[in-house]
Amino acid sequence: MEGPPGDAALLAGVAERDIGAFRALYERHAGWLALRLARRCNDADLVADAVQDTFVAVWQKPRSFRGDGDIAAWLWGIAIRRLVSRLRRRTDVAAAFGSSETAPAAEEEVLLSVEYGDMGAALARLSPEMRAVIQAVVLDGLSAREAAQLLHVPVSSVKTRLFRAKAHLRATLAEGLS
Amino acid sequence: MTGWHVDDETLRRYVERIDSVAEGASVEQHVLTCARCRARVNTAAFAVDLAVVDLAAVWDRTRDAVEVPRPSFFERLLGAAGLPPREARLVAVAAAFRGVWLVGVVAVLAFAALAAVIGRAGGLWFFLAVAPVTPCLLVAFSYDWRWDPALEPEMVTPYSPLRLVLLRTIAVLVLALPAVLLLGLVVPGGTPFVWLLPALGFVAVVLAASTWVSLLHAATSVSAAWLLAVWLLAATRSDSAVVLQARVQVAFLVLTAAAFVIFLVRGRHLSQLRPRR
Repeated sequence: MEGPPGDAALLAGVAERDIGAFRALYERHAGWLALRLARRCNDADLVADAVQDTFVAVWQKPRSFRGDGDIAAWLWGIAIRRLVSRLRRRTDVAAAFGSSETAPAAEEEVLLSVEYGDMGAALARLSPEMRAVIQAVVLDGLSAREAAQLLHVPVSSVKTRLFRAKAHLRATLAEGLS
Repeated sequence: MTGWHVDDETLRRYVERIDSVAEGASVEQHVLTCARCRARVNTAAFAVDLAVVDLAAVWDRTRDAVEVPRPSFFERLLGAAGLPPREARLVAVAAAFRGVWLVGVVAVLAFAALAAVIGRAGGLWFFLAVAPVTPCLLVAFSYDWRWDPALEPEMVTPYSPLRLVLLRTIAVLVLALPAVLLLGLVVPGGTPFVWLLPALGFVAVVLAASTWVSLLHAATSVSAAWLLAVWLLAATRSDSAVVLQARVQVAFLVLTAAAFVIFLVRGRHLSQLRPRR
């Protein structure tokens, strides 16, 4: 299909120091990245900084994309870590995890069962703390250490909560099936 | 993959952040792999940027950030040494730390190697002729606008040219003098420090002269004079040790001090640094 250049082509342009390709990449991805980051952090300035950091990092090391998987997922991986890094410097801002109405999830194949209502209900019944951990580790793909930094809790708490949350979900889903 | 896509209602709820627990997660997971839905979420995000972040402003900042070259190692070193960022930049952008500096060092290295090959007497004369004038030539080149495009905006910004020239000169010397000293160790005969005072003296003279003529003219004149002197010495005496004598070194010390005082006194005449078209 002939159309606008793909993400890979834009990234190649960025590697060639093409500011036009860089701008196109920004316009194609900055929006959804900012929106998704904003759901994890209530401070719009921090989100803006994280988006900026993300694209500056892309400009500086466009070749760090190893070509496996989607460029969008790669960008998200950078963005969420930049947000974690920004949050680490700012202890006065708490991440929005658990506090907002919007919430976490699990992997896509599980999420697709949302139409049956069971997974959504199971997630809704989790405590905000457990939901936050599930969101950070399962959906955002952070390590336990990064999740701990994002949520301002010890690494051990992340691991315990993740374990409990999974057990909780399993039990709720089993309950729904029987 | 799957036939599932983000419908308009889900998209609206996601953007307005009034979606349910799993709905938002579904959208987020889906847009990582579905370019079409991602584009729709992205467009919606740009449309509601007043509610999230000002993406146009973030783009401006991002572009500015990538267009400003990253601080070089040397610049970060200056910053760590306590120099304010702006002065660190002014010092570090000196062309001497890029091409010209490299050329200068390579030239000195080549001459030193040549000196070692040629042999004690001839080689030493050669090194004696070249090494002391290398730093002042480097300083001069680092101010010539033909070599350094960064100089033009610098010279029109309100900034004490005296301070700038001193900072840059010190920076150039910090890089150039160790090289000269190091090569002085390699070259047979004499101590490595004998080149130090002549080198400093020539830099001071060039700076002082730059309040009358351009740095490049001053540096080439000083270099020519020194080469002539060395050539005359070599032609009349076979012993290069004359330059190493204490009284000659003292003379260089006096020359350095005098030239430096002249430079400081006449510092306001540094308009010569301005590039002339």
